[in-house]
Amino acid sequence: MTEQSAIDLREVMVQCFIRAVQDNVNLVVLVGDSTSTSKIAPFQEKYPDRLINVGIAEQNLVGVAVGLSLGGYVAVTANAACFLVARANEQVKNDVCYSNTNVKLVGLNAGVSYGPLASTHHAIDDVSIMRGLGNIIILAPSDPVEAERIFEFALNYVGPVYIRMDSAKFPVLHSTDYKFELGKVDVLISGDDVSIFAMGSVVHEAYAAAQTLKADSINAEVVNVSSIRPVDRKGIIDSIKKTKNVITVEEHSLHGGLGSLICEIIAEESLVARVVRLGITQGHFAKAGPREQIRAFYKIDKNGVLENARKLLNR
Amino acid sequence: MSNEFQLTPAEIVNKAKAIRKKIIKMNSHAGQGHTGADLSETDILACLFFRILNIQKSNLNDPGRDRLILSKGHGIGGFYCTLAEAGYIDESLLMTYLQFDSALPGHPVRQKTPCVELNTGALGHGLSVGVGLALSAKMSKRAFRTFVLTGDGELQEGSVWEAAMSAAHFKLDNLVVIVDRNTLQLADRTEIIMALEPLQDKWKAFGFDVQVTDGNNVAKFIETIEGLDMCSGRPHVVIARTIKGKGVSFIEDRAAWHHKIPIGDQVTKAIEELE
Repeated sequence: MTEQSAIDLREVMVQCFIRAVQDNVNLVVLVGDSTSTSKIAPFQEKYPDRLINVGIAEQNLVGVAVGLSLGGYVAVTANAACFLVARANEQVKNDVCYSNTNVKLVGLNAGVSYGPLASTHHAIDDVSIMRGLGNIIILAPSDPVEAERIFEFALNYVGPVYIRMDSAKFPVLHSTDYKFELGKVDVLISGDDVSIFAMGSVVHEAYAAAQTLKADSINAEVVNVSSIRPVDRKGIIDSIKKTKNVITVEEHSLHGGLGSLICEIIAEESLVARVVRLGITQGHFAKAGPREQIRAFYKIDKNGVLENARKLLNR
Repeated sequence: MSNEFQLTPAEIVNKAKAIRKKIIKMNSHAGQGHTGADLSETDILACLFFRILNIQKSNLNDPGRDRLILSKGHGIGGFYCTLAEAGYIDESLLMTYLQFDSALPGHPVRQKTPCVELNTGALGHGLSVGVGLALSAKMSKRAFRTFVLTGDGELQEGSVWEAAMSAAHFKLDNLVVIVDRNTLQLADRTEIIMALEPLQDKWKAFGFDVQVTDGNNVAKFIETIEGLDMCSGRPHVVIARTIKGKGVSFIEDRAAWHHKIPIGDQVTKAIEELE
């Protein structure tokens, strides 16, 4: 796929919102001064009455969404993940999760999307925070096709959902007939030598690394873990039993994210595997700077995955 | 939809007495509870359930029902006893209050108890959700009203004021905040811990229609609520002056009774005072 065909996942999201209203989903979208962050303008032009802007007030953003859901609406919040999960954490815990309300939380520009804007704007702990809450579905789309399927799923699912979203444009990895299945892993490339588990937009890095490894006769299996809760234990176990070598890749802290999740499964199932977890180093806030350089520093770019795969396999 | 009891103020006074006796018995049996808060809010809850709230036992989940959010979730004991008095829950359940996996836990749980709209207990959450509910009524052109009962110490939470700002911005005249103004919080007087006064001015500055009433005087409280102009384009706050622990002399207006319970002779004495 060429860069020209890359699409911003937020544009996909907004088109899903428009189609949902056309399909009679009783949708209301809430932003916290995040109209540009969410690229919501096309929706706002069509359905101005269905967009609520609460201003710069994240606790109120989530609380008002909960009230709207209790009043019969499918309430979706769309703001930067860093502010959503941290500032409104107790509203997410009690009013969305514990009260089990029909609210969809979209964490925009998650990971280190905001690169140079530094750690106040990075969300490298959102998955671990959400995993700590009892019942919320956690999803992370990797490309425009999957983003569309995930939003279609979420807007029709009754109950709390968190969607970890990226800010950039991404090319298509999936064919147009791709079906997103809740609680299933998506094996993008099959292979016997090493399982590369990735979450969100770094799936593209894993995918590119696997293609280069193929030229070295290393068959990497690329597993896109877009459904983080519920997670596909069987799919993950099957892949690890086959390859016995595991690399996890996430633009997220190594505390409680994808790498932790995979290791929990390995430990609980007594699987024998060599594991390398790539992500934001334990105990670190991520470096600030251009995103590509941050990814290179933490070895979560294509080259970092390549280097670690070769080292792991002594090749 | 209407209230199915529509009691007179005199009848509600008797209901409040019966609820208070239930609170004393339930909390002493449970061995825990927020007795001061339960007794502080009793008259307000009795007015709401026996006259003001348009809800019906035949369908407590009717989308057109009035909503009440107990933002001061620690007042759940008084809430349960009111539900029992109204016949919305079985009275025998009160003796399971706070027990393991009880239908009546120590803070509201909507999955467990009828008439609970939100799982509160962490303070400062109810008003935002009330704003969302009131907004949903406006957007879907439904006539229900949303009431949010808050404590006064709770108003120290910043999230309350985020919500207040938005309630006025969205012109939610179908939203009524009731402040149980008993002037006590867990540790001491609100004015000593973190002063709330001038409280009326604060709400006025945020764009609210502000009413002050006696929250332990059933007739006055009803008159205040029934006198609200629900088409004014402004949200309402009713600052209901109350006495924490109201009705029992040795519990009244004492911070120590925030989460104390009557034991032994105190139970008999409290019940006697409430006769």
